Amino acid sequence: MYFNYSAVIILMMMGLWAMIAKKNIIKKLIGMAIFQTGIILFYISMGAKAGSTIPILDYYKSKGIIDATHYANPLTQILMLTAIVVGVATVGLGLTLARKIYDEYSTFNEDEILDKVKEEK
Amino acid sequence: MILSIEILLLILVVILAFVSLWIRDLVSSVIVFGAYSFLMCLIWTGMGAVDVAFTEAAVGAGVSTVFFIAVLFNTTRKIRFNPLDLSSKIFATFICSAVAYLLFLGITDMPFWGDANSPVNSVVSKYYVENAYSDTKVPNLVTAVLADYRSFDTMFETCVVFIAVLGIFMLLKKEDDDIHLGSEETDQENDSLIIRVASRFMVPFIQLFGLYVVAHGHYSPGGGFQGGVILGASLILLAMAYDMKFVQNLLSIKKMIIYAALGVLIFAGWGLVPVFLGNNFLDYTAWAQLLPGTDGIMARSHSMLAVEIGVALTVMCGMYGIYMSLVSDGGFKKGL
Repeated sequence: MYFNYSAVIILMMMGLWAMIAKKNIIKKLIGMAIFQTGIILFYISMGAKAGSTIPILDYYKSKGIIDATHYANPLTQILMLTAIVVGVATVGLGLTLARKIYDEYSTFNEDEILDKVKEEK
Repeated sequence: MILSIEILLLILVVILAFVSLWIRDLVSSVIVFGAYSFLMCLIWTGMGAVDVAFTEAAVGAGVSTVFFIAVLFNTTRKIRFNPLDLSSKIFATFICSAVAYLLFLGITDMPFWGDANSPVNSVVSKYYVENAYSDTKVPNLVTAVLADYRSFDTMFETCVVFIAVLGIFMLLKKEDDDIHLGSEETDQENDSLIIRVASRFMVPFIQLFGLYVVAHGHYSPGGGFQGGVILGASLILLAMAYDMKFVQNLLSIKKMIIYAALGVLIFAGWGLVPVFLGNNFLDYTAWAQLLPGTDGIMARSHSMLAVEIGVALTVMCGMYGIYMSLVSDGGFKKGL
């Protein structure tokens, strides 16, 4: 029953590998986003309950008796909801820096950027 | 809960993540990443996280793909072929396999998937599920926790979006004189009549849906973040189908910054008023003294709508501002 957690680990390590080993900075950003979705999947998997429904109450149907095991965990969901929106802001900031680097060195490749930095010195 | 479909989706997601990193063309890579995000939405919907799936569909699959394309359009989509450099690859593979091994060792300590009595699901979240409706009269528990119980969290996340927009704007901005309207060298309108007319027809409905999502967040999946992204996406669509000048006549860059700040101000100001009424910061029950015809419970319910409007304003201006800065390289003249 650990499929979700295994997928989380694989996704996170894939993102980490891309952030370290990929030479293209846009690919590094995609790796960062994959790492982030891995973490979000981890939180959502922890908050899932077998046989539960979405965390929106049907108050009249339940007649005022609310059983917490019938609804998915809202807490992990809101933590991740805000994380997604902040994630896109960080990706935008990363893209801005990539764009600035491209304006300066006209390449996204890490090695070429390093070569050009060395030439300038 | 159909487990076999979940496993299939998880395998597909891992494959798509691999393809997105492996493919040797940046635009294709970004598009595959968008597909990956959509599959992720399916998985989250299967686990009951509809609000998160909604946000990911709007943000992860929609807007962030547009941001990537906006940058790649003006730079390059090519990836230089690297001579095989094994040293960094071996190093990265070693690090990642070591971390993965340690994490796999710890995996059996995790509670079973779907365990309703695990520590995560039993203490504070149980309180939220059982008491949120009697405390706030909001059936959507995610909105209740987001905008009331944990509104400190949400307020500072909104601030983070605002600060990120300011950072992007400042980093890319050229000279002060460059940001004004009426300069000659704008780009031509999109020459496709179909795209222009179709987007013109769609934009009012997209904005209406965005407002609905903001206002109806108490009762259905949605809220300030999702509605704000949808509203921002409608402006991005206009900027793509027409030109930058057309959309700046609707919402200029100066106004964009002011409205984004105003959104944060609405949230923080709404939370600050209870302090003067003798309550804690962001404790909305004190608003019952100011809002006519409400008790403490309904004051919390109405206050959630107010702070969601603030969040939506900041996120809308944020997404619009990030797109405009990225696509025009800070000049706000020439777009896609």
